[in-house]
Amino acid sequence: MLFRLLRLILILTLAVSAPLSFDAVAQGLGQAPAGLVADQQKIIQALTTKTDNFEKQIQQDAEEDSSLVDIRLQLEELSRQSLNSALAFRTRLGEINGRLEQLGAAPAAGQPPEPDIVSGEREALVSEKAEINAVIAQAQSLSIRISGLIDKIGNMRSELFRNVLTKRYVLSDALSPQVFSDARDEFGNFYKAVSSWLSFAFKFKFQAILAATFVALGLALVLLVGGRRLFGRVFEADPSNEDPSYLSRLSVAFWSTLLPTLAVGVFLASTVFFFNYYNVLRGDIGLFLNALAAVIGVVFCVNRLTNAALEPRLPNWRLIPVETGPARWLVRLTTAMAVVIGVNYFLSVINDKMGSPLSLTIARSFGATIIVGIILILMAMLRPFRARDGSWRPWPAWLRYTALALGLFTIVAALLGYIGLALFVSLQVVVTGTALITAYIGFLSARAIGEEGAFANTSVGRWLSDNSSYEDTALDQLGLVVSVAINVMIVLVFLPLILLMWGFQPGDIQAWAYKLATGINIGSVTISVTGILSGIVVFVIGYFLTRWFQGWLDGSVMARGKVDTGVRNSIRLAVGYAGVALAALVGISAAGIDLSSLALVAGALSLGIGFGLQNVVSNFVSGLILLAERPFKVGDWIVAGDVSGTVKKISVRATEIETFQRQSVILPNSNLINNAVGNWTHRNKLGRVDIKVGVAYGSDVKQVHAVLLEIARSHPMVLKNPEPFVLFSNFGPAALEFEIRVFLADVMNGNIAQNDIRFAVLEKFSSEHIEIPSTPRAVVEAHKPKAWPTDDDKIEADFAEQEQIRAEAEAEKKRLVKSRKTKKPDPD
Amino acid sequence: MPCEMQQRRWEHRYCTMWKSLVAAVALVAAIGSVHAASAVNKDAETRTLVVTEGGSKTDLALAGGETVEFCPNGCFVTLPNGDLEALTGSETVEISGGVARIK
Repeated sequence: MLFRLLRLILILTLAVSAPLSFDAVAQGLGQAPAGLVADQQKIIQALTTKTDNFEKQIQQDAEEDSSLVDIRLQLEELSRQSLNSALAFRTRLGEINGRLEQLGAAPAAGQPPEPDIVSGEREALVSEKAEINAVIAQAQSLSIRISGLIDKIGNMRSELFRNVLTKRYVLSDALSPQVFSDARDEFGNFYKAVSSWLSFAFKFKFQAILAATFVALGLALVLLVGGRRLFGRVFEADPSNEDPSYLSRLSVAFWSTLLPTLAVGVFLASTVFFFNYYNVLRGDIGLFLNALAAVIGVVFCVNRLTNAALEPRLPNWRLIPVETGPARWLVRLTTAMAVVIGVNYFLSVINDKMGSPLSLTIARSFGATIIVGIILILMAMLRPFRARDGSWRPWPAWLRYTALALGLFTIVAALLGYIGLALFVSLQVVVTGTALITAYIGFLSARAIGEEGAFANTSVGRWLSDNSSYEDTALDQLGLVVSVAINVMIVLVFLPLILLMWGFQPGDIQAWAYKLATGINIGSVTISVTGILSGIVVFVIGYFLTRWFQGWLDGSVMARGKVDTGVRNSIRLAVGYAGVALAALVGISAAGIDLSSLALVAGALSLGIGFGLQNVVSNFVSGLILLAERPFKVGDWIVAGDVSGTVKKISVRATEIETFQRQSVILPNSNLINNAVGNWTHRNKLGRVDIKVGVAYGSDVKQVHAVLLEIARSHPMVLKNPEPFVLFSNFGPAALEFEIRVFLADVMNGNIAQNDIRFAVLEKFSSEHIEIPSTPRAVVEAHKPKAWPTDDDKIEADFAEQEQIRAEAEAEKKRLVKSRKTKKPDPD
Repeated sequence: MPCEMQQRRWEHRYCTMWKSLVAAVALVAAIGSVHAASAVNKDAETRTLVVTEGGSKTDLALAGGETVEFCPNGCFVTLPNGDLEALTGSETVEISGGVARIK
């Protein structure tokens, strides 16, 4: 399986690198030399001969899957070469066609004949072109033939595979006592081979062996110790940690699997390498050693991985939440499964090389499949979870029954003699199961990253929050994006992997991916993932560019240029809307959607929009007018109908106004355009405040006038120019009415000034004995509360309560004074 | 200038955003580099190319003004004038006035 995977990877890399080599060759042959036709004909002849050979070979190796795959790879290469040789004619063909065009058509029957030299050249060119076409036709038919052969190989391979799966062996032959004697013979042979090699090695190559082993051990040690030094922090699970985060558990599992496996792998690989290097290996021993190394490496890796994921000793560090006892069993069972499959593989290598009888191979596979089936059933029977009440709960039903069914299927197939099928199923279970479990752990980690606040705690998140100005919420959203990306990546990686395992050809997967990327046609509309993605990317780029430009214009240019804030705001908004609209248009056209068809739709819709979205459109246009005309800007105190407050934000549809009671009012822009809007702070903040005062009939009005004027003048906020003015406004029914009119530099301070002036008026009037009349409307009798029956305790308690209330009120007042000191009251 | 040295807060923020964006674009560009040959018919009439790809010949009819993507992995094409050409899968075949040109 491992080798098949390697092969697939090789094919993939070939397929990827092929177009590159193509272009290079095409360029190299760009100039058509003389004798081009003869050269290419030779090449195509050679390719045809090779193809003939391969065709024969296919017949010979019809039973050998691996050689069929090899032949297919070489045939694909031949097909590329034939295409390349045809490509070599392109420039020459272009030249010939160009020249023929210049020469024009041959004269018709009635026309005067052309010079011989012209007709001669034309004939030569036409005949050369015919030759070239003939050669290209040869290349074409060769490539058709090769394609046919490749198809044939595919059919043969699937036929072979079907045969393997459906072939039934007679078990009574394979499991007869004969097998034991065969096995004994074979073991004897193997023992002889190994022991003769060992004695040879010890006699002649002892030093080399020692050196090789030590070098390999040293390398592995360096890797292990160095790795521990480098990643020690994340390598070892900390038993004292009560609740490690999922990500730290994951990283511990990853590193504690990777580093030891890598060390062991390096040890094994370097041992084999140095044995080869010192020529210690002889005959088939090298193959055996390779197989042994592969088996040991795989078993070790599986053991480490299950140990890391299940952590039988440290429940807190478990990746998959099963109980301790079952975790231990799971580790044992998976390791046993890996050992069985590994041993089976090793024995198959020995069987191959020793030329052992078929019965032995069958017996070996039979044993292995039965054991794998039993292990699967045991795993399914495990009860890994514990309910709240302490009872053990089994796996989820679908998982349990699937595992059970697979185990039973393997055993039954093996018992019925379908050894190939049983072996195939057990291998697929192990490999696909591993891939699925890895993918599941990946999904779990994606979920862990997506949780609230989890991403900020990862090292990337910490780095980002240290090195950038991302807020916590932004980091959280980023974490969500990362988790979605991980999910997508898992699907993208594991789906093709599992498909490959199940025998799909990489070409199929490539073709699907290609189709998905370039577009699926539905009627005349083409939906392509890359198109949509690139459209989105272009839009996002445009959006960020706009935002950046906006920020730069606002923060660097206009702020430095001391541009008025209203103008700044207008320009910023206009630039923003224009940029986003532009980005959207470019994005749509980048996504491959034709803008002209969009215009058609827009034209048809505009009538509907005119009626249906009348208000929105009118508000939108009003917003644009507001931006251009600027009757008010952000921060102005405006009065629009019943609403009075400061402008917070001018958007395209509506304007946000905050009243002085801190209520946000969203006013549609059309209201602000169509109706009268009062702006207290349009050009300047100058404003007039009127204060009415009444004095009793009989007072000295001249003195009153002088006193009021004096008070108005002496107030520090009142402007000298325009001068304050006291109006004797009315002979009222109860009083002589005056009005103090003062101008303030900032009308926002109106309430403070009014308050001050009113206090001052009262004070002055009382000292000057000027009366302010009041008309009592009703006589209110004050009821005195009844005296409580003498209850000292009660009185005391009441008194204490009152004291406390008073103290609290005082404290409250102080606090209010403190907090209010810097703020001025709002105008009404 | 590294982003940390930007003085204004918004400059800093846009700088960081910019960086992440460049990374994203590079990623998408790396993923989305798939090519195929394309054929453009600039004539009003329908033109036919015979495409030999993967062991089978198919007629590729191009209506007037149509653009078609085909042949991702190399193929042979019989042009309207009867010429046979090989394509690697990155060319553009342009038909105008009944004559095909490969670019």
